[in-house]
Amino acid sequence: MKKRVIAALLTALMVTGLVAGCGDKGGSDAGSDASNPAPDAGTAAPATEETGDDAGDDAQTPDEGGDAAGTADFTGEDPQLAKKVKILTIWAEDNDNGILLNKICENYKNEVNPNFEWEYEMVAADQLQQKISTLAASNDLPDFFAYEAGAPLVTLIEADKIVNVSEALEEIGATQYINEGAAELMKGLSGTEDLYDLPLGLNAEGFWYNKALFEQAGCEVPKTWDEFEEVLTKLDAAGIQPLVTGGSDKWPATRLINAVAVRTCGNDIMTKTANGETPYTDAGLVAAADTVAAWAEKGYFGEGITTVDMNTAGSMLMNGKAAILYNGSWFTQNLADESQNPAGKDGIGFFNIPVSDESVSSATSYSMNCGNILAMDKSKYDEATAWFLKYFCENMGDLAMNEMATVKGYTYSASAELDPYTQMVLDAINESTEGFAWWEAKMSSEVSKTAQENVQPLLNGDMTGEEYMQSIQDVHDMQ
Amino acid sequence: MKKVLGNKAAIALFVVPALILYTALVMVPVIWSLYYSLFSGSPGLKWEFVGIKNYLDLFRDKNFRNALMVNFKYISVVTVGQVGLGLLLALMFKFWLKHCKSFVRTLVFFPVVLPTVAVGQLFAKIYEIQPHYGLLNSFLSAVGLQDLVQPWIGQESTALWALCVMDIWVAMGFYSVIFYGALLDISDDILEAAHIDGASGFNLFRRILLPLLRPMIITSLVFSFSGTVKMFESALALTKGGPGAATKSLSMYMYDVSFTFNKVGYGSVIAIVIFLICVCGSAIINKFDVRDD
Repeated sequence: MKKRVIAALLTALMVTGLVAGCGDKGGSDAGSDASNPAPDAGTAAPATEETGDDAGDDAQTPDEGGDAAGTADFTGEDPQLAKKVKILTIWAEDNDNGILLNKICENYKNEVNPNFEWEYEMVAADQLQQKISTLAASNDLPDFFAYEAGAPLVTLIEADKIVNVSEALEEIGATQYINEGAAELMKGLSGTEDLYDLPLGLNAEGFWYNKALFEQAGCEVPKTWDEFEEVLTKLDAAGIQPLVTGGSDKWPATRLINAVAVRTCGNDIMTKTANGETPYTDAGLVAAADTVAAWAEKGYFGEGITTVDMNTAGSMLMNGKAAILYNGSWFTQNLADESQNPAGKDGIGFFNIPVSDESVSSATSYSMNCGNILAMDKSKYDEATAWFLKYFCENMGDLAMNEMATVKGYTYSASAELDPYTQMVLDAINESTEGFAWWEAKMSSEVSKTAQENVQPLLNGDMTGEEYMQSIQDVHDMQ
Repeated sequence: MKKVLGNKAAIALFVVPALILYTALVMVPVIWSLYYSLFSGSPGLKWEFVGIKNYLDLFRDKNFRNALMVNFKYISVVTVGQVGLGLLLALMFKFWLKHCKSFVRTLVFFPVVLPTVAVGQLFAKIYEIQPHYGLLNSFLSAVGLQDLVQPWIGQESTALWALCVMDIWVAMGFYSVIFYGALLDISDDILEAAHIDGASGFNLFRRILLPLLRPMIITSLVFSFSGTVKMFESALALTKGGPGAATKSLSMYMYDVSFTFNKVGYGSVIAIVIFLICVCGSAIINKFDVRDD
C-alpha cells in the first residue's frame, strides 16, 4: 500500500514537473513584469514625460517605433534618454571597426548620455547574411547591424525593414557629416535616391605589388593591360610567382574578372547586366573570365590556388613569395604591421587597375566601396537612437582618424600622422574621379553565390570563361 | 509490475508525456516544414503561397541534383568506410594486438572527441600545397612521387574523396569500440568449438563472427548512415563546399537556399527530401536484419 502511495506521489510530481517545464514562457514573463513595473521607465529619470511614454510604447508595439523620432527637436542638448541598443557586426571588439563602434558608444555614454547602454554582438562574416535574414524574418533585427551594400541591402529596403538614413540625418541635422563621395557610392549600390546605410569605410581597390620582386625581374609598374601581361611574363620567366589571390575565399578571384571586365566593357557593365541590358554572356565578359582562367592555366597563380585564403595570399605577397595581389585598402592594416610585413614600410607598392581604352574606363576611376555598411532597424529607431546617431555621425570621422589613422566615410577635422601605406590609399581616393563597384555588388544573393562558387572551377580549368558566364546567366534567368 | 502494465491508464500516464514531447519536438517541425514548402520567399520577407511549385522546381534544379549526387557518393563511401574499418580495427584489438591494446584503442578513439573545425584545419594542413607542401604532398615529393603532388582539396576530382578520408578517420574509432564490445560478448567457447571444427581466418569471420555481429553491424550502419546524410560541418570546415560545388551536400544547399537566398519554402522542400532519404535508407538497412526466430 505504502509503495503504491509513493508511486502515485512520484508520478504526480513528475507530471507537475513536466507541465511546469512546458508551461508558457509568456505567463512567467507577465508575472515578473507585474512585480517589477517598467524598470526602464523608472530609470529614465532625465527623460521628459513624453519620451517616457515613447519608451513604454516601444516595448509593446515596436512597429510604431519608427515614428517616435518624428516629433522631437534635435538642435539643443541631448536629453539623455535611457536606451539600450543592440549592435551586431562582423568585427571582434578589439579589431577594426569593432574598436571604433565600442569606443564611440563608450564616449557617448561617458561624455553625453549616462543612461545609454549598448550590447555588442559579433558573427562570422560569412554568416552575416544568414543571420540578418533570419532576424529580419522574425522582426528582431538589432538597432544597428553591419551588412552588405548592394543587392542584400536592397532586399531589406524593399521589405521596409530599415531606417531611411537620408531622412533621419536630415531630421537630426547631420547630413553634412557623411562624406559626399561615400554617400554617392552607397546610393549607387542600393539604386535609391535616399541613403539607407551608414559607411564604415571608404576603400579603394587595386593591385599591391612587391617592389623587390619587380626590381629583380626588371619590371615597371604597368599602366595598361598589355603592359600588365608583359610584367606577368617577365616575372614568370624570372622564376617568381607573378600572381596570388585568395581562391578559397572566392571573392578575391571574382574581383580579378571584374577588374578586366570593367576596363574593357565600361565602368557600368555590371549594372547593365543586373538590369538585363547586357547579358552575362556578353563577349567582353566572357573574354574577361577567359583572361583570368588563362593566367591560372599558365601557372601564374602557382599550384592549387583554390586552396589559398586571402590571409595566406597577403602574407605571400609581403614575404616575397608572390609578386602581385589584388586587394582593397583595408590591406594597409596588415602592411603597416611590422610583425606581419617583412617587406617594411616601403616594400610594397600600389597601382590602380590597368586600363585598356581610356575612353571606355579612365585611369582615374577606381574600384571603390564603403566596406560592410551599418544599417538600422526601422522598428527600433526612436528618439534616443536618433540622438546617438547624431553623436555617431558628428564624431566617427575624428575618432577613426585619431584611433586608427583611417578614413571611414565621415568628415573629420583631426589630423593624424599617417603611415605611408594609408597615405598611398588616401592619395588614390583623392585622385579618383569616378568609382565602380565589385563583381557581385548588383547581383542577387543566388546569382552572387553562383558567380563565386564557379570561379573555382574556372581557375582549375574545369570550366571555360563561356561556361562560367553562362552559369551566371542561367541563374539570373531563373529569378 | 504486471498489474501496473496491465492497466491502460497507467500505460497512458507513462507514454503520453513522452509522446507529447516527441510530437512537439519531432513531428511538429516536420509538419511545419511541409506547410512551409508550399510558400515562396522567407517568412516576413515576400512570403507567398505557391502550392506545389517548389516541388516542381526541385526536378529542374541542377544544383539540387548535383548536391544529391555528392550526398550519395559521400554516404556510400563514408558509411562503408567507417563501419568496415571500425570492424577491422575491432578484430585487430581482439585477435592481433596483445600488449598495447588499450593505448591503441585510446589513440584510435581520440579523433571522435576532436571538434570538427579542428579536424578540418588539421586536414587542410595535411592536404596543403601552397605556400608550402602539407604532410601528404611533402611525403609524396620525398619518396619521388612528384607526379602525384596535387591540390587534393582544391580540385573537383579529388576534393570529395579527400573529405571522405577525413570523415572515415574521425569516426572509425567510435565504431571500433562498439564492435570490440560486441566481440567481447562472444563466448570463447564458441570460438574454440569453431577452431576444433577447423574454422579459422576468414572462414571463422564469415561463418561465426559475422552472423553473431550482425545486429551490431546493422545498428552501426544506421548510425553511420544517418550521420552521413546530414553531411555538413566537416565539408564546411575542410572545403566550404568547394571547389565549385564539388563537396556541397544537400544540407549545405538547403542552408544556402533557406538563409542566403531567402527561400525558406524551397529550403523546406529540400529538408523534406533529406528526411525521406533518412527514413528510406534506415528502412532499407533494417531489411537486412532478418530475424532468426
